[in-house]
Amino acid sequence: MSMKEDQSWSPYLAGALSGLVSIGSIWFIGKYLGASTTFVRTTGMLEKLFSPERVANMPYFLKEVPLIDWQWMFVIGIAIGAFFATVSSGSFRLQAVPTMWQERIWNSHCTKSDGGLYWRYYSDVWCTSGRWLPERSWS
Amino acid sequence: MELWYGLITGILFGFLLQKGHVLRYDKQIAALRLQDMTIVKFMLSHIVVAMVGVYLLYDMGLVKLSLKPTILGGVIIGGVLFGLGWGLLGYCPGTSLGALGEGRWDSAWGILGMLVGAGLYAEAYPYLQTTVLTWGNYGKITIPQLLGVNHWLVIVPFLLITVLLFRWLEKKGL
Repeated sequence: MSMKEDQSWSPYLAGALSGLVSIGSIWFIGKYLGASTTFVRTTGMLEKLFSPERVANMPYFLKEVPLIDWQWMFVIGIAIGAFFATVSSGSFRLQAVPTMWQERIWNSHCTKSDGGLYWRYYSDVWCTSGRWLPERSWS
Repeated sequence: MELWYGLITGILFGFLLQKGHVLRYDKQIAALRLQDMTIVKFMLSHIVVAMVGVYLLYDMGLVKLSLKPTILGGVIIGGVLFGLGWGLLGYCPGTSLGALGEGRWDSAWGILGMLVGAGLYAEAYPYLQTTVLTWGNYGKITIPQLLGVNHWLVIVPFLLITVLLFRWLEKKGL
């Protein structure tokens, strides 16, 4: 059901190599890997666009200053690295609804031919992944 | 320059996350449903390698540790909320970005949610500072410190238990 499934690396190997990346970062740059503070800083940066004086006085943003820092670049890097990896194995695809969710939740409701208007709206919203289900009825 | 190192480190990490197939909603939820422990294998492999490497460097005086204060109120409540979010969304902060890189843009909703959640936390922070964040504040402690032993007496057993766990997972086909 999934068109091209790329061969994954052993999670042990990939995990161990990522551990080496961590060690390298700590040793040479003194930075421990992390991601969550970036979300806080980004929200702060967005809020600054609207009310900079307010943000400048909030205790949390005095502690976690809203600016682009090492971690912010790291988080962006994750998206880029994943993109390279996925393209190199040909498994990139725009997908709006995860497969497991679709199978467990959407498919179990979709194959019944209940009232038309509800399903027509529902299917417009959820079938953006381009999967057309044969038993849907348009009434 | 530091910013570029951040970007490169992230690219390497994201690359490995994707190759290990731990970015997918299906894998994360399968792990939380205890059906497919791929992401646990990845996480523990990383932890074990980094633990040994960092403490070796620490013993040689080459790195400093980065300890966060142990505040039970924050960690327990935050952990439960995080778990609820993770189970609903199927991604965590770093992997949600990685998933975007793979084109699975359902993670974008989670990213928006995380930004909003972070904003709400920032608003609530002054209140939390006087309440939740004071409950069970033990400061920057480590397990070796608490047990009063050399850190290798914690690291080596942890390593052994992890290897045994891995063997058990493979046996069970998880």
